Amino acid sequence: MKDKAVLYLLASVSLITPAIFIVILVHVFYEAMPAATGLGMLLFDSEGIWRPFGQTPSFSILNIILTTVYVALLAVGIAAPIGGMAAIFLNYYTGRRTARITLAFVDLLAGVPSVIYGFIGLLVVVRNFERIFNMSAGESVLAAGVVLSVMLLPYIISTYSESIEKAKSKYDTASMALGISAEYSVLKVIIPITKRGAAAAVVSAFGRASSETIAVMMVIGNAPIFPRLLGRGQTISGLTALEISGAEVGSLHASAIYAANLIMMLTLSVILLTAYLLRRKLLSEYEKI
Amino acid sequence: MRKNAQKLPAILCAAMIMTAMIGCAGQSAAPPPAPGTQVPQQPAEQATIIEPTQILFDGSSTLAPVIATIAAELEEQSDQPIEVFVSSGGSGQGVSAIIDQTANFGMLAREARDSEKEQIPDFQEYLVGIDALTVSINPENPLAAMRDGLTTEEIVRIFSGEYATWQDFDPALPGEEIVVVVRDIGGGAHEVFQTNIMGDVEVRADAIQAPSMGALVSRIIENRNAIGYASFGVSYQSRQDLAFMEIDGVEPTIENILNGSYLIQRPLILIRSGQPTQAEQYFLDAIFSDLGQSIIDEIGFIPIS
Repeated sequence: MKDKAVLYLLASVSLITPAIFIVILVHVFYEAMPAATGLGMLLFDSEGIWRPFGQTPSFSILNIILTTVYVALLAVGIAAPIGGMAAIFLNYYTGRRTARITLAFVDLLAGVPSVIYGFIGLLVVVRNFERIFNMSAGESVLAAGVVLSVMLLPYIISTYSESIEKAKSKYDTASMALGISAEYSVLKVIIPITKRGAAAAVVSAFGRASSETIAVMMVIGNAPIFPRLLGRGQTISGLTALEISGAEVGSLHASAIYAANLIMMLTLSVILLTAYLLRRKLLSEYEKI
Repeated sequence: MRKNAQKLPAILCAAMIMTAMIGCAGQSAAPPPAPGTQVPQQPAEQATIIEPTQILFDGSSTLAPVIATIAAELEEQSDQPIEVFVSSGGSGQGVSAIIDQTANFGMLAREARDSEKEQIPDFQEYLVGIDALTVSINPENPLAAMRDGLTTEEIVRIFSGEYATWQDFDPALPGEEIVVVVRDIGGGAHEVFQTNIMGDVEVRADAIQAPSMGALVSRIIENRNAIGYASFGVSYQSRQDLAFMEIDGVEPTIENILNGSYLIQRPLILIRSGQPTQAEQYFLDAIFSDLGQSIIDEIGFIPIS
């Protein structure tokens, strides 16, 4: 009897998370419907721009979606090579102790509130961009990418480091017995073997990057125009944070914001699912070796 | 509408944290202590015992945080059994809430129209404060030394992007891009600016939308090409680091705002139908007390008394 009660309790508790996700998804879907039916493809009008309060209101979220993807790709593109190299270095070129202490600091980096990153981004990155690129205002897609890439480093380093550790523990003895150098074993064994682990790290970092709100908002300028590397832009989460509180409930304006978020949620679900499957496959592969 | 009301506290918190953070960046900006932060005065004698009452406010999201903050303060300081509920969805909703009798007070961030007054029996209104915006530039901008102010028409041309660089505005100025900084285009602050200055003309699409008033002011302080508007309260705290622009020759001072000659402003009013009950009067008194007026001042609006 008691066992059953515990079982039910545990089952209901563990079902809460997926239930919350489904409730949110259904809510966003429901709120996005008026925009989907009322605007249809006008939501992705490449001629239009996000101007819900213009003389002739237009609700194109195309530029905003493009900016979100652009910024996330840029951030992952900067962070992935740096994080990957750092993970290899920590596993092959330093002592255990140093590596462990460094990794602890890397994890601390993940605990810094994102508003702090945004703030530092504004004072350091944006200001220096104005100086270096001779821009009249440093708020730009690139500035957001740089700030975000720093925020992604801990995710990439710790995820990738984990795969390297696993691969290393399998092959280290063999490598040592063959007497091959660390460089050779990294290049010819570890990197090819951890391909999937690297992909999983990159994909989950991309998910993290595309949903970051406040740090990006503070350095990107929030102008809903077509994204250019040194131009301003606006991301989906930035748009939502700026406008959802003022948007009249039930209006086309609010609904279009929900539509943008629905697209992001669905895309992220697919991306994160891919990352999950990759990682699971990876684990079973290690089991086989 | 209720959804909005629930989101509001979280968003406000975020906004306040951001303002505080960015405020720190304002280099030498040393805000003067707000006048009302000392011992707040009790709005009425505690002796009057009021029936347990719920007071409902509905309307402008600009005024909502003011009423919510005053209500929260009052709840801590007074033992009168008054519960205040605030929901927001725009001034229009404030009017319709009174017409439909779904709220005791409507919150408006504009004058009530005559057509609206006609629909409300025994129309009452209370001017709570004034929301005004200053237009300012970076003091290092040579324009600050050349001119004391701008005309409405010049501001429209700058904010719409008709002048792309400062040189376009005046050949003596550097040929750098004019960096226009605004608050979110859908928000209340921008609405004042749009109605009173821009009219039908739209702000340039690549204008920077600052996530808070504090962020907006700090962008103007840090960027010498920037021009933007900021709420009177926030910009006045950083007045040493900003160059305020006169609008059509009128300086943004409390006096000019109160006498109506300064253009970029709007009234914050409460409306209701019929005379207030004892509990409602008690709350109204709290709004007009030193405590209430200092809260209005802290939030960045201009108190009436």
